Amino acid sequence: MPAATAMTICPKWWAGPLPHPVPGHNVDHTKGTSVNNTTPLLSGRGLVKRYGRQHALAGVDIDIHTGEVLAIVGPSGSGKTSLLHVLAGILRAEEGQISLAGQRIDRLSETRRSELRRTEFGFVFQQGLLVMELTAEENVALPLLLGGSSRPEAISSARDWLGRLGLAGKERRRPGELSGGEAQRVAIARAIAHRPKVIFADEPTGALDTRTGHATVGALIDSAASTGAAVIIVTHDRELAAGLPRTVSIRDGRIEPARDTAVPVA
Amino acid sequence: MNLVQLALRVLRADRRTQVSTVLTALGVAVATGLVLLLVSLPFATRARAERSLWQTPDDAAGGPAEVMWSSAEDELDGRRITRVDVAPLIDPATVQLPAGIAELPAPGEVLLSPDLAALVDSRPAAQLADRFGARPAGTLGDAALRYPEQLVALVGHAPDTMPAEAMKRTALGSGHAEVDPLLSLLSGVGVVVLLVPSLVLVASASRLTAARRERRLAALRLAGATPAQVTAMVAAETGLAAAAGAVLGVAAGPLLHVLATYVAWDGGTWFAGDFALGLVPVVLVAVTIPALVVGAAVAGLRRVVNRPLTATGGHTRKPLSGIRLLFVPAAAGLFFLSLTRDGGDMLLPILVSLGILMWSPTVVGPWVTSALGGVFARVWRRPATLLAGRRLRDDPKAAYRASAGVVLAVFAGSMALTLMPSLESEAGYFSRFRDSVLYFGADPDKAGAAVAAADARLARYGLGERAVSIGEGELRAGEQYYTAMVADCAAAKRVLPGTESITCRPNPAIYLDSAVPLSGLRATGSDGPETPSVPLPEDAPVVTGHGAPNVVIVDPALWPKDVPLLGVSVAVAADGATREAARTAMLAASGGAQVISREMKLGDQDTQLADLRRVTIIGLVTASVLGGLSAAIATAGSVLDRRRTFGALLAAGTPVRTLARALRAEAALPALVATVGAGALGTAVGVGLFGLVSKSLPTFSPWLAAPVVLGTLVALLAASVCTPALKRVRAEPLAEE
Repeated sequence: MPAATAMTICPKWWAGPLPHPVPGHNVDHTKGTSVNNTTPLLSGRGLVKRYGRQHALAGVDIDIHTGEVLAIVGPSGSGKTSLLHVLAGILRAEEGQISLAGQRIDRLSETRRSELRRTEFGFVFQQGLLVMELTAEENVALPLLLGGSSRPEAISSARDWLGRLGLAGKERRRPGELSGGEAQRVAIARAIAHRPKVIFADEPTGALDTRTGHATVGALIDSAASTGAAVIIVTHDRELAAGLPRTVSIRDGRIEPARDTAVPVA
Repeated sequence: MNLVQLALRVLRADRRTQVSTVLTALGVAVATGLVLLLVSLPFATRARAERSLWQTPDDAAGGPAEVMWSSAEDELDGRRITRVDVAPLIDPATVQLPAGIAELPAPGEVLLSPDLAALVDSRPAAQLADRFGARPAGTLGDAALRYPEQLVALVGHAPDTMPAEAMKRTALGSGHAEVDPLLSLLSGVGVVVLLVPSLVLVASASRLTAARRERRLAALRLAGATPAQVTAMVAAETGLAAAAGAVLGVAAGPLLHVLATYVAWDGGTWFAGDFALGLVPVVLVAVTIPALVVGAAVAGLRRVVNRPLTATGGHTRKPLSGIRLLFVPAAAGLFFLSLTRDGGDMLLPILVSLGILMWSPTVVGPWVTSALGGVFARVWRRPATLLAGRRLRDDPKAAYRASAGVVLAVFAGSMALTLMPSLESEAGYFSRFRDSVLYFGADPDKAGAAVAAADARLARYGLGERAVSIGEGELRAGEQYYTAMVADCAAAKRVLPGTESITCRPNPAIYLDSAVPLSGLRATGSDGPETPSVPLPEDAPVVTGHGAPNVVIVDPALWPKDVPLLGVSVAVAADGATREAARTAMLAASGGAQVISREMKLGDQDTQLADLRRVTIIGLVTASVLGGLSAAIATAGSVLDRRRTFGALLAAGTPVRTLARALRAEAALPALVATVGAGALGTAVGVGLFGLVSKSLPTFSPWLAAPVVLGTLVALLAASVCTPALKRVRAEPLAEE
């Protein structure tokens, strides 16, 4: 993808090239699905999630491809976080199916879903939700250790990622000793250190000022680009979403038609 | 809406606050109930003593004597019987009688306690009824019994038929009732041992909402609430739960009293009314415990009150000072100093210093936990160890809180397991007679008649056993003293231990233990300047080599006439089926003297040791349960405090087992180290307390390790509640609390 195209789409804080060339990618504007010649990396079909009588998701179809960056926007209570959690296997949908690289994952046991989240997915939460007792490098090393890496390997990789995210020299600090933006970059490093296929970010800028928030998302996309991971960002920040390659708008548990703004692929 | 109303609204609306309130109330209820029961123990022993004062009256009241009285202990199949003989010196109708005795038994009549009356009815007269030589004329009421199942007989006499040892008394039941000192000591130790885990339980319960409450109060402070208003809100929140708990604890008192009545002490169980406390101590306890709880909650507000901003976000805790380590040696020094104190009331300083010593692990434990966490944070290899190590290092007070109750139980357990075997090793009773022998002391001039009377009664009961008379004297060789048993050889062989192998000479002889020198033995009387010292006849036949160490058996014909005997016993060997009838026969011949046996003396010690063992087990089980509950609640609170972090980790795929392992390590590591320390400290305290009652070296058994092992297991078991708590978090890992 030409850098110039990326510059026209991404906001000012985004200085690099768009990291996710999505070959053969087109969008079905009536749904959250894109018209694509390849198998979606992550796909949801007919997803329904209820809390009591209330529908958080009322039949959502959505596809995400390898390396794609997708923003899910919508007002509070629209179902965007529920969609993220259902796609990530944190919550079970009452109806519908979810596939990762063509394989159904919605029927997996809790143990298998945990394993999947640990190995194939990465997460960035609002306010980071780091382990307050651990240092920055230990927080980042944690998923690697859980994946079976040795301590030296995990710490080395964690330091590498923290360095890439501009946190060199702050590896031994606790989350409480870092600024909000720094803590969120630690969370990004933690989400990506084990090289997941998809990174889920739930309001990653919610606790940050606009400038820091946008810089943080830039760091997230940049990092994901280097590993080829797809990124799904839930945000209510329309300005942030506008700068991302593709945006899906959700309201009352349904994807709004014609509000999927996929980047046209040359 | 004022802040107190706000506190009540929070209580109505917030489920976790409700759970914390209920647990706090239960903790206070347990603490209040236990303390009230323990405080009532000395009063209960006094109530017993007052009821049974007529069994051991003294003349403290003064005034003219109304009765002649004597008392003796007897037994049947190992059960103690108290026999009181009484004869009025004034008109029987005017004798002051204690409660439970409607009227004085007439000569030839006996009043029996209900249980003794039942035994009299169920056993042959030779085995029991004949001992009283009187007709049952009624039963004694509960108010005259030490404990419900006491076996006691009040035998009526004319003054001239009273036993020789009878004394004049101003009234039956006069004098001063004493509190059982041992039970008072145990009660004090029990208050310390059980109150502290109870308060730890309360602290754990109130910590369930601590993080959330701190945020709420900090928000109020930031919104302009004054420290006094915030304090009032906390006092209202905690005070409500504590007051409810105190009321519950007081209300549960009667139930605890009923349970306590089943715990035998000093030979019997209790009447429920024994544990009744006056209004003042009840109010004092019911106010003090909630006040302590509210005080602790308010004291815990310092950070919120002083620095509300730090309470709303994360903060770095200050490392704990190493000075804490000095607390244990200082407290131990104070305790051992209190043990060496001479004179005055020793109990209070010992209990106070023991309380401080028991508290010391709570001061030192967090420091040790932090140090341990530091080690693990350096050497970790697995995520669970990393998480546990960092948590221990970062918040050692919270990490230690989970094991604090268990540590105290281990301390108490180690103390008890040091004391118990040591006390048991001290048990024993030296008797000149074999275990199976029943004997009583007799006047040397009347011993022959007593033997004849006993033999006649034995014959009447159809028993083949016959009584013998054994004198006791003293022999001296140089500076060495030996005991002389003055008896003919055949009699000695029937009742003295170690004499089985003796071959009796046909003529009077002296039988020596091989360790006793043959020459220079002189018979001596009691100590004093007038003590005669007469050599044994040099031409007397001597047989050496019997098995009774340091005992010389001297035939009465060879004992110097000028040397008085120290005493004479009438003895009969009887066991098995004939034993109780033989005891009856001996009692009939004893003229009121107590018929004793080594078994009887050992039985007293067995009863005391069994009492100690029983209350120790009850105390330890209660302390362990309280400690385990505290640990479980603290672990659940630990999960709740970090719910968002754990939720995020679980959402990111961290297995529950990894977090559970970390939480178990958090609980077990400090518990293991602290219980080992507490075990050592408890053992040292046990040694110190044992030194109060004996100069012997204490006995250590392998069971001493049991509290440490059990304590760690209880801590681990309690920590296992983290798994269901984590699974609940996993169900909705990112849900708001």
